[in-house]
Amino acid sequence: MVTKTEERELNQLENQVENGGGGVWEYLCLVRKLKVRRSELVLKHGLFILNDSGKRSALGPDEWTLYEQVAIAAMDCQSLAVAQNCIKVLQKKFPESKRVGKLEALLLEAKGMWEEAEKAYSILLEDNPLDQVIHKRKVAMAKAQGKPSLAIEHLNKYLEVFMADHDAWRELAEIYVSLQMYKQAAFCYEELILSNPTLPLYHLAYAEVLYTIGGHENLIAARKYYASTIDLTGGKSTRALFGICLCGSAIAQLSRGRNKEDKDVAAPELQSLAASALEKEYKQKAPAKLSLLSSALRSMKL
Amino acid sequence: MGTGTNGELKYEISQNAYIKLVLHSLRHKTTSVNGVLVGRINPKDESIVEISDSVPLFHSNLSLLPPLEISLLMIEEHYVAQGLSIVGYFHANERLDDVELSGVGKNIADHISRYFPQSPILLLNNKKLEALSKGNDRSPVMQLCVKDASKNWRVVGADGGTKLLLKEPSANVVLSDYISSEKWKDVVDFDDHLDDVTKDWLNPGLFN
Repeated sequence: MVTKTEERELNQLENQVENGGGGVWEYLCLVRKLKVRRSELVLKHGLFILNDSGKRSALGPDEWTLYEQVAIAAMDCQSLAVAQNCIKVLQKKFPESKRVGKLEALLLEAKGMWEEAEKAYSILLEDNPLDQVIHKRKVAMAKAQGKPSLAIEHLNKYLEVFMADHDAWRELAEIYVSLQMYKQAAFCYEELILSNPTLPLYHLAYAEVLYTIGGHENLIAARKYYASTIDLTGGKSTRALFGICLCGSAIAQLSRGRNKEDKDVAAPELQSLAASALEKEYKQKAPAKLSLLSSALRSMKL
Repeated sequence: MGTGTNGELKYEISQNAYIKLVLHSLRHKTTSVNGVLVGRINPKDESIVEISDSVPLFHSNLSLLPPLEISLLMIEEHYVAQGLSIVGYFHANERLDDVELSGVGKNIADHISRYFPQSPILLLNNKKLEALSKGNDRSPVMQLCVKDASKNWRVVGADGGTKLLLKEPSANVVLSDYISSEKWKDVVDFDDHLDDVTKDWLNPGLFN
């Protein structure tokens, strides 16, 4: 997960690097640190350094980290020959290395040789059964082969052991959402909110899933979590502001014909606050879309 | 206007609408993406659906309702002033060899077809897209799917009467050019807009 500041820094460096302004090593390090997927650029610029023996030796021991980084990027871009070459260099430098062994197995994955990759990972797991990266590769392989239920199975087993791995909970939630298994996705977000109550991302995701499941109680709950998202982001979450309006509208529709006691008291004020915040934002940043926004909001105030 | 079944419809997609959607999928190679088709029935020939524009929607969590509802509201609102409406759905699967229509895609398309019964699903054909640079294929790199009489979505074969046609015959040439120049970097979708409202999902100036 990357913050907006980190993303800005990354994009700045990226522009700089792409326009020949230097900073390649800083960029590659940042990509590694943030664990983002910029494989084409990493491949292009990393290879440029690796192919220049002067630049390469200037890196010192970091040279090997770069080989690893470029190997993975190459695999992501299906430049398997490049990946193979990088791995060969690492094999020579670190024979018997488990870390290099993982790269070899990853290359098998990249080639689509699933059975061989599974075998390679199993062997690696024998020596280190708690290697989180390898367990996650099993999930990735299941996903890549179009077996989401198997991916879910693996992820659930993984989370029984590594229940504090937030990225894994998020991945599981997203797989559930893609399969339209919203209740299960909701459970994952509940776990995330329990362990990270101040991260607005989870509140927002939970609200969106609740709204999607629908029904009076879920809509009320969704609105609460949209509200907490707004609270935690200082009112800056456009999605949450929209969410409040959508909830208000959906609850009103459901409440038609219901008893007066069930009447949604919070709605009007909350909805108009959210609507004004949205209009203010659009007026400032996207004035051309303001009238569209206003008519959309009007059609929600049923 | 139209009766229950589609009969032999021609879906004519304009170059810009077509290219925008393909570029969108290329911008987000590692996830599934979707979009809507915008257009109208040809006023002179009811058997032709003109797809004159498209709006790329999302590249994450495609099956969550709130962003979808907002996007459809704003998109309809915008195009109705031009006498156009949402006339179909585009989907690109996450995996290269996945040619199935996902549940999400069918649900969204079902919803759209309630308002525009002839609404098709256009599914990106990854193999054709891959082959684009190598051949002279002038046919769209998309699979056409329509609803049959029993309301199920089915892929239309090349020999079917109902067809997807590129309005401009050189659309694939232009597309290949844009791919080489990495034009896909400039495509904005609704996800981007919701993250930053200064980003315009209408993509004005994309093809200038």
